[in-house]
Amino acid sequence: MDSDRRKLFALVVFGAATALLIAASATAHAVLMESSPAVNSTVAGPDIAIKLRFNVRIDAGRSRLTLVPPTGSVQPLEIGKQISADTLFANASGLPAGEYRLRWQVLASDGHITRGEIPFIVARS
Amino acid sequence: MARLLQIFGFLSVLFRGATLTFQSLAAGGIVFLNSILRRASPECGAIQQACLRWIRLSAVALAVMQLSYVLANSLILMQSADMTLADVRGANFFIAGAIGIFAALTIVILSGVQRAHGYADLLFPAAAIVASSVMTSHAMARLEFRAPLVVATALHQAATAAWLGGLPYLLIAVRRAESPEFARQISARFSQLAVISVCVLASAGFVLGFAYVGSFQAAYGTSYGAMVTAKIIMFGLLLFLGALNYQLVRSGPAGSILASLKRFGEAEIGIGITVILTAASLTSLPPAADLAHDRVSAMEIFARMAPRSPRLGSPAMQELPEDVYAAQSKAIEAGALSSASFVPGQAGTRPNTPAEKEWSEYNHHWAGIVVLAIGFLALLAQAGHVSWARHWPLAFLGLAVFLFLRSDPEVWPLGPNGFWVTFADPEVLLHRIFVLLVIGLAVFEWRVQTGRVVSANVRLVFPALVAVSGALLLTHSHALGNIKEEVLAELSHIPLAILAVTAGWSRWLELRLPEENRTRGTMARVWPVCIMLIGAILLNYHEM
Repeated sequence: MDSDRRKLFALVVFGAATALLIAASATAHAVLMESSPAVNSTVAGPDIAIKLRFNVRIDAGRSRLTLVPPTGSVQPLEIGKQISADTLFANASGLPAGEYRLRWQVLASDGHITRGEIPFIVARS
Repeated sequence: MARLLQIFGFLSVLFRGATLTFQSLAAGGIVFLNSILRRASPECGAIQQACLRWIRLSAVALAVMQLSYVLANSLILMQSADMTLADVRGANFFIAGAIGIFAALTIVILSGVQRAHGYADLLFPAAAIVASSVMTSHAMARLEFRAPLVVATALHQAATAAWLGGLPYLLIAVRRAESPEFARQISARFSQLAVISVCVLASAGFVLGFAYVGSFQAAYGTSYGAMVTAKIIMFGLLLFLGALNYQLVRSGPAGSILASLKRFGEAEIGIGITVILTAASLTSLPPAADLAHDRVSAMEIFARMAPRSPRLGSPAMQELPEDVYAAQSKAIEAGALSSASFVPGQAGTRPNTPAEKEWSEYNHHWAGIVVLAIGFLALLAQAGHVSWARHWPLAFLGLAVFLFLRSDPEVWPLGPNGFWVTFADPEVLLHRIFVLLVIGLAVFEWRVQTGRVVSANVRLVFPALVAVSGALLLTHSHALGNIKEEVLAELSHIPLAILAVTAGWSRWLELRLPEENRTRGTMARVWPVCIMLIGAILLNYHEM
């Protein structure tokens, strides 16, 4: 390898090394914009309609919604037909009054998942 | 499991950054081959073959990185979201990755085939590579104005590849040109391509900036906006180097024009790769336009950055939380961090305690004093009046020990968590890599300054490491939301990163430009001043 090629090689290795050293660790961009029920809100039970709107398109088929009731046993929720590409819909029925947590996990088109949790209260009907 | 996901998440970002870099190199080489070397000439043959070799290498590296990225991301999804391989296989990122790998392998095969009539067919897989990248971009995920944003993103990436990805091939061509006249012709053709690419890149960037940032306040009040601003400033640096090139060709000393062009080309490649990596880091953030709440106001920035006296006394170790990892787990268990969107394995940011903030400020301020002294001594050494000042690189050794001990008090040797946590927590790993870089700076540059080294390559270690440090700072972790403390910290780190990139490449140019180039003298003054400014900013870094 002559001197010029060696220097050029070093330059490209430098670029590749820089790439390999980058350390951004948050790799997703689906962020919850609004939800129903809202965070820390009180809703009338026993049946509630769930709607989560994100800032980008969501792969509904590869996303998950689960409900954690006051008893603590996790219930998966069936995600309804996607009317808008950035929104997830679901229904939860027969909920006794109490404190709940709605856990969501979505897959964005860039292949990254984000998660979050919405605490809310179901009031006595 | 959370730690495993963190490691996979970390790896997937590394692969993403490498993918974007090699994508630009492969596609840029193909554009160069077809637009600059297209005219048949006996001198073109050898240059074409050299370019084809580099295109092939870049395409192989791209395929490997793309495959690694898809595998890491698939594993993350299968482990964290209970998906099967069949589920993952149909996801958008998987399909985009498969297209990218197929296109890269097509380039590898086609570039090895001897042909008489040009390489236009390589443009198709090059376009497919850009398309596969656009498929996972912000533009594809938008609901509004999707089509124009997709077009703007594709043009932005294609123009970046043509210009920045084409630069290494310009250097190859100029080095291998058999006559100065032919090298000058190639440079002139590339200049035309670069001007067109810069116009396309800037226009598409303006459209994307308008759509994703949206307002002046978002440009400084959000992480995304601040990173876009950093990209624009580095774009300005590249244009400045381009202007120096232009001036050189018009009125530079005839004997050294080509030598100078090559050196400016090297700096442009380095800064260009930094911009591409910043862009890779940017794709991990939600656009500023989506985060209308909790932006940092101009008053808050002013209040945080107004000059104050440095903190020269440290809080005691006992005042820090006993174990930050345990504290973070407790906060997550309590649900304190969980209503915001987060990435699995990264369940939010625990607010620092006042003692942790004081600890961090103390670290930054003492580091600032050392760095300010280094810059000042480097200037003195250049003036030549104080002979001992040339030992200034040794001050970096003290800085390395200080950083090693103080930057992560929760980890060995000071904290309760063992040495191996270093490799599981990306932030600690980054700090430890920085310590190694600083030791490298001290050893290599001290040997250079004291005349113990004559090798030209060893002299380049210092500028390369300083520039890499700047790139690292620009691509460190970002929060998903507008966490004000993180945005404010980001706003102080971005100028540091840009100054480090400027210092590294100006020192590079000082060492590499031919003696008769007058810019060399200016560059020799620029880098010590940049280092002093870094010291001054560190001295005024505040977290409260």
